[in-house]
Amino acid sequence: MALGATRASLSWLNGWTIGTVLIATITVMPIVAVLYLSLTPSDDIWAHLASTVLPLYIKTTLLLMVGVGIGTLVIGVGTAWLVSMCRFPGKSMFEWALLLPMAMPAYVIAYLYTDIFEYAGPIQVLLRETFGWSTKRDYWFPEIRSLGGAISMMTLVLYPYVYLLSRAAFMEQSICVLEASRVLGRGPVRSFFSVALPLARPAIIVGISLVLMETLNDFGTVDFFAVSTFTLGIYDVWLNMNNVAGAAQLAAVLLVFVVFLVVAERFARRKKRFHHTTTKYTALPGYLLEGRARIWATVACAIPVVFGFLLPAGVLVGYSLIHFETAMNVEFLGYAANSLMLSSLTAGLAVGIGIFMAYGVRLRNERLLKVMVRLASLGYAVPGSVLAVGVLVTLGSIDNGIDGFMRNTLGISTGLLFSGTIAAVIFGYLVRFLALSFGSIEASLAKVTPSMDGAARSLGHGPLSTLRRVHMPLIRSSVLTASVMVFVDCMKELPLTTILRPFNFHTLATFVHQYASDEQLGEASLAALSIVAFGILPVIVLSLAITRSRPGHGNGETAQ
Amino acid sequence: MKGLHIFGLSHAYGEHKVLDNVGLLIPAGELVCLLGPSGCGKSTLLRLSAGLEKVQHGTIAIDDLTVASTDMHVPPEQRHIGLMFQDYALFPHLTIFDNVTFGLMGMDAGKARARAMDMLDQVGMTSHADKYPHMLSGGQQQRVALARALAPEPKLLLLDEPFSGLDTNMRQSIREETLNVLKQSGVATLMVTHDPEEAMFMADRIKIIGANGRILQAGRPHEIYYHPSHEFVANMFGMMNRFDGVVSDGRVDTPLGSVATDLQDGMPAQVLIRPEGVILDSGGNGKGTLVEVTSSHLLGHDNIVRVRLGNGEGQEMYVRVHHTFEVELKKNISAKLDSEYAFVFPISDQTEALRMDASGPEVAVAE
Repeated sequence: MALGATRASLSWLNGWTIGTVLIATITVMPIVAVLYLSLTPSDDIWAHLASTVLPLYIKTTLLLMVGVGIGTLVIGVGTAWLVSMCRFPGKSMFEWALLLPMAMPAYVIAYLYTDIFEYAGPIQVLLRETFGWSTKRDYWFPEIRSLGGAISMMTLVLYPYVYLLSRAAFMEQSICVLEASRVLGRGPVRSFFSVALPLARPAIIVGISLVLMETLNDFGTVDFFAVSTFTLGIYDVWLNMNNVAGAAQLAAVLLVFVVFLVVAERFARRKKRFHHTTTKYTALPGYLLEGRARIWATVACAIPVVFGFLLPAGVLVGYSLIHFETAMNVEFLGYAANSLMLSSLTAGLAVGIGIFMAYGVRLRNERLLKVMVRLASLGYAVPGSVLAVGVLVTLGSIDNGIDGFMRNTLGISTGLLFSGTIAAVIFGYLVRFLALSFGSIEASLAKVTPSMDGAARSLGHGPLSTLRRVHMPLIRSSVLTASVMVFVDCMKELPLTTILRPFNFHTLATFVHQYASDEQLGEASLAALSIVAFGILPVIVLSLAITRSRPGHGNGETAQ
Repeated sequence: MKGLHIFGLSHAYGEHKVLDNVGLLIPAGELVCLLGPSGCGKSTLLRLSAGLEKVQHGTIAIDDLTVASTDMHVPPEQRHIGLMFQDYALFPHLTIFDNVTFGLMGMDAGKARARAMDMLDQVGMTSHADKYPHMLSGGQQQRVALARALAPEPKLLLLDEPFSGLDTNMRQSIREETLNVLKQSGVATLMVTHDPEEAMFMADRIKIIGANGRILQAGRPHEIYYHPSHEFVANMFGMMNRFDGVVSDGRVDTPLGSVATDLQDGMPAQVLIRPEGVILDSGGNGKGTLVEVTSSHLLGHDNIVRVRLGNGEGQEMYVRVHHTFEVELKKNISAKLDSEYAFVFPISDQTEALRMDASGPEVAVAE
């Protein structure tokens, strides 16, 4: 009996390893495919690209990153410091309201602001009427469809990443170090620059890295504004020049940017661990701002909320109401159904695989598993355009392989099984968002003490029964959060969906992009509004989490 | 034989050897304490017995059935053991009752209910059956953990530092209750602790593991205390007075008198004397060695007195005396030796090394 039990348990436990290795291999394949393809010689496209568009792509991409980086740094850290360290009117509202722009995909506000600020838009019409100008040559007005415009749009919707992480860092800082700084003779502002900011630096770097990954990922905005970034270049070479290898080569260069960001992020995260020298936390008192400072603080926090969310959302609601009759039709419902189906399928799969891997690593504390799990969650940093190329190439060769095998053995041609199906889209989503679900499930599992496992196992429950009866009830809320996050990210996703979707298949995102590009924003406004409405879900989750997580706050749950 | 049988168990984490050829036999109904410093392999031994870790070398059998050896491993859920953790590990999302029935899934609901209530009754927790773990005190959680571990009638119970989370006032009464429940159940019990007093109180037999992962001595509490076979064992129960000397005519001289030994003549040796092995006599009738009292601290039942040999210039000693014995500081009194509390060991290379290991930084390997 004993021997049989052993063999059974060994093969069972190996299932976790085999499964994880398999998942990791499959998810890392698109990235490997891009690298492999970029190294295969092809028609000298590389020389051609290098001599023509490559310098422009590099320059534009770098400028975009620098611009968005500085913009999100200033807005994110500034507002985070104001709401966590100062007291002024509206502070408690801004704490969560500053997260709202996260609900806005960059491409949606890009369409909206273009509509507002372009030559025929309400602002310029108003200016012309007021000052009696008649043509473009009579006055100067900033061109929204430009690099500067793209930087503004992305800054407005991406700063919450920096805000969220630096706010958490400020909140974690013990008031003792800040008070020590004050007692040692430094004023609030100098204390901020000499103590609070350096302590929060790793968190800020993580935030900026995430922002820049999103910047590289963006397709909708740069396509609409015709800003020649790498992402746009990949689409151009792929779709217009029909050159796979060229696209892969561009994608590989873009990966260099990504590697840089990932290294910066990892490095900063590692540094974060050595932080706090005191465990004495008391509620942050907050500097009570007076007079003009109060007004300035309120205005400074209001600007990003108004321009990043309230104004565009208001315009969107207005358009949706005006165009409701035409927009609310069978097609819209079909696209919404497509989006919901893809997003919920992906969220379910991502959470299932996330639990499988996180629990597998917990059960079998093996080096191989840990490495594989890291590999499987690489995709979060890789821009959608690069992944799309990788996924297409990977699935194409799998399809060809199966087809060839079937023709040789059975004489049947299976054709393209995966390419151009929704399976390809879901695969792409999974590669990109697996890290999101795995990360939060792993973090939540880590909070369950290992003795829980030991207790359940010694009481006669196997690994699966233990997972179901002990771990799942304890991590349920994190699993739910993870699935909401993945779900919403899929709803918003544009670059992957654009390339991978089946012919004539639309999600809300691709539908909005196509109509907005054709200057038919009105018809697409309801769809855009739906995406934004779903986008508010994670904002709620995050704002609840941030108010609960402060040590020394809340109802003494931290005092164990 | 019913119970736990371990032979030739060795385990290492990388280069660090935590168990070295350890053997152990616990028949049903007996409680064996594994006593050792932090970082020795005692927790590892517990985890290996439970099946939470895989055996590298050696064999573990429960009720004559091999459950683990170098090339086989029965998972913990198939070993029919009870395991109680230092932090109790009660499931926070389940009520006390559901916690106790957690291990009774094979039983029909009515029987499981009766069994759980019976166990809760034994530990005096029936009135808390519907509460959740966070609503209980540490002592109550400990009782529930014990009831949960014993409910499925395990063949072997493993206790990992079961009382270390309790405050001193409660510890004594909970120890007694636990011991009663264990004796009633007749289960073979292996308990791990670093607290010698606790081991003395609980154990039928004590096994002492050194920092090198070897079993240094095994025996009844009385033997361990009165006949330590190793200087490390002698040093475990608190401070000792040490005198170095050389064996001659089967004895080693100390300022308080000579002590008999089996060691060969001419060997350098150390004499370790427990604080209660020095008898002070304030009468000053001239017998014994003259010492000067430098400090005295009342610990409740006992007085801990620090004295200096000679006229306050010689070696310092700790003496444990009854609290009614009142001393005057600076006064010279006489001291003599109770040889029952004096032990002779050779001075080996290990002497200093062992001392360093015992007090050195903790190596957290088992967690």
